[in-house]
Amino acid sequence: MLLKPENGALPIPQAEREKDGGRDGETQALTASQKEIPSPLLRETPKEDLSARREEGAEDSALTPKGARTLAARALARRRAYRRLDRTVAELVQFLLVKDKKKSPITRSEMVKYVIGDLKDLFPEIIARAAEHLRYVFGFELKRFGRKHHTYILINKLKPLEEEEEEEEEEEDLGGDGPRLGLLIMILGLIYMKGNSARETQVWEMLRRLGVRPSKYHFLFGYPKRLIMEDFVQQRYLSYRQVPHTNPPECEFSWGPRSNLEISKMKVLGFVAKLHKKEPQHWPVQYREALADEADRARAKARAEASMRARARARARARASDRAGICPW
Amino acid sequence: MEEGRAERRRRTEAPSHPQGGTRRAGVMTDVHRRFLQLLMTHGVLEEWDVRRLQKHCYRVHDRTATVEELEDFINNINSVLESLYIEIKKGATEDDGRPIYALVNLATTSVSKMASDFAENELDLFRKALELIIDSETGFASSTNILNLVDQLKGKKMRKKEAEQVLQKFVQNKWLIEKEGEFTLHSRAILEMEQYIRETYPDAVKICNICHSLLIQGQSCETCGIRMHLPCTAKYFQSSPEPRCPHCNDYWPHEIPEVFDPEKEREAGTSRANKRSLRSRQH
Repeated sequence: MLLKPENGALPIPQAEREKDGGRDGETQALTASQKEIPSPLLRETPKEDLSARREEGAEDSALTPKGARTLAARALARRRAYRRLDRTVAELVQFLLVKDKKKSPITRSEMVKYVIGDLKDLFPEIIARAAEHLRYVFGFELKRFGRKHHTYILINKLKPLEEEEEEEEEEEDLGGDGPRLGLLIMILGLIYMKGNSARETQVWEMLRRLGVRPSKYHFLFGYPKRLIMEDFVQQRYLSYRQVPHTNPPECEFSWGPRSNLEISKMKVLGFVAKLHKKEPQHWPVQYREALADEADRARAKARAEASMRARARARARARASDRAGICPW
Repeated sequence: MEEGRAERRRRTEAPSHPQGGTRRAGVMTDVHRRFLQLLMTHGVLEEWDVRRLQKHCYRVHDRTATVEELEDFINNINSVLESLYIEIKKGATEDDGRPIYALVNLATTSVSKMASDFAENELDLFRKALELIIDSETGFASSTNILNLVDQLKGKKMRKKEAEQVLQKFVQNKWLIEKEGEFTLHSRAILEMEQYIRETYPDAVKICNICHSLLIQGQSCETCGIRMHLPCTAKYFQSSPEPRCPHCNDYWPHEIPEVFDPEKEREAGTSRANKRSLRSRQH
């Protein structure tokens, strides 16, 4: 059911029109009136909007069939470009979600290689929109980190659960991740109890006692050596380095930056305590350290909340002054 | 103008959220976000799990609010997901019609969600198993037949022993179901890949005569060959004393299963798993 073009303008295929709702019809009939309602995308990029309007204005004065055809063709091309941009943003969002599920940080070059392709000049725009979707729809914050600032991870911005809520949610099966995370927490526990770093040999010794051998395929963990030395290190859950001045050279593990973000010393101590059927206070040194860590976290959280409130106040003030001035609506 | 007002409303509710269509999108709150996150973690959930999840999310983020009717709740979220080309899709298990929900891709039609979890040769193993399942008469492919194809896999060479482990990984991640040494598609895979399967195997694919969706397991008419899902036959023949083929009117020779009743299921509880393995397959 194509709209009968009134003045020789290009008929637009039905599928495209349905996607954009009634706007195409209006664009097509645009001749004497400038009543085209700009799409939200145009609204967000006022520069493009202005130039588009200027072009339309110039052509419009012709009021010829050719003028209307060119307008329609240009509008169609613009819509196609925006749709392509939308699609790419959507693909990037999915890519980031899937990659984050594996807990591996994502690099900019990966994103360009697998998703963005030849739109890579629009990378800042695309990643900004993707970040907004991730924030608004899923409650994730896209954080840039790494020395070159080209690596990204997703942080969960939803409020962390209370203990009873956590238990409620834990009833849900963790799927394939459960055993691996359990293994990780055991290693984090060992590292913490040994004073925030553990020799590689100590880690393998503990695992051997659990029946886990580095290069033997395990039905729950796959190849443990690969899981621990590659996956966990790459995902920034563990840091691995050579201990200086050791001969023969030895290596040690410590908590990676992601572990510090996602779990706390107190929680890990609690886990170790449960394992040994004791109270966390049974290890006074570690307990004191965990308490200090909790205090630090509370302080950092309070600071972040205070600055957020200040920013919100500033924004409200700005909006109020805006409204007092020239405001179209 | 109606449209302008709707768009303005949208803007104040979601100031920086870009919208593609003119349909008024719902509002996302932390209740919806946690729900989405948890649904994503599980991949696929049964309806009673989904209801429990929904209540949990309300309890965590908005104790005082009334829990919205599930269908509206999901439609609300889907209107927001539309611009991301994904949606929460509702389906049913093929063996006993239990309603399930999964977050599926509307645009890309490949096995993309699996692509990040599995290596190239593992994905190819899945594709081979998928082809055997689709070509089979029962919707099941035997472990032996799948493993015999191990030499034809793309990528790194895989031994049969390793392939057995990979098949178990597929089961664990809810892409395949195993029954007595045979494999079929998990309802999650059917939900997520229906479009891909119909486009990639248009000749081999089987379709249900009642609901017109992809059919992997089901019953078929011995005279004219049309097929129906088990839950679809249950609903279609529910009040017929003498079931007849809707296409050729010949007597329908198979046992008609019962329509899925959520109340009865909850009572059965843990014995559900046993029921499934005792039930005979219909072909």
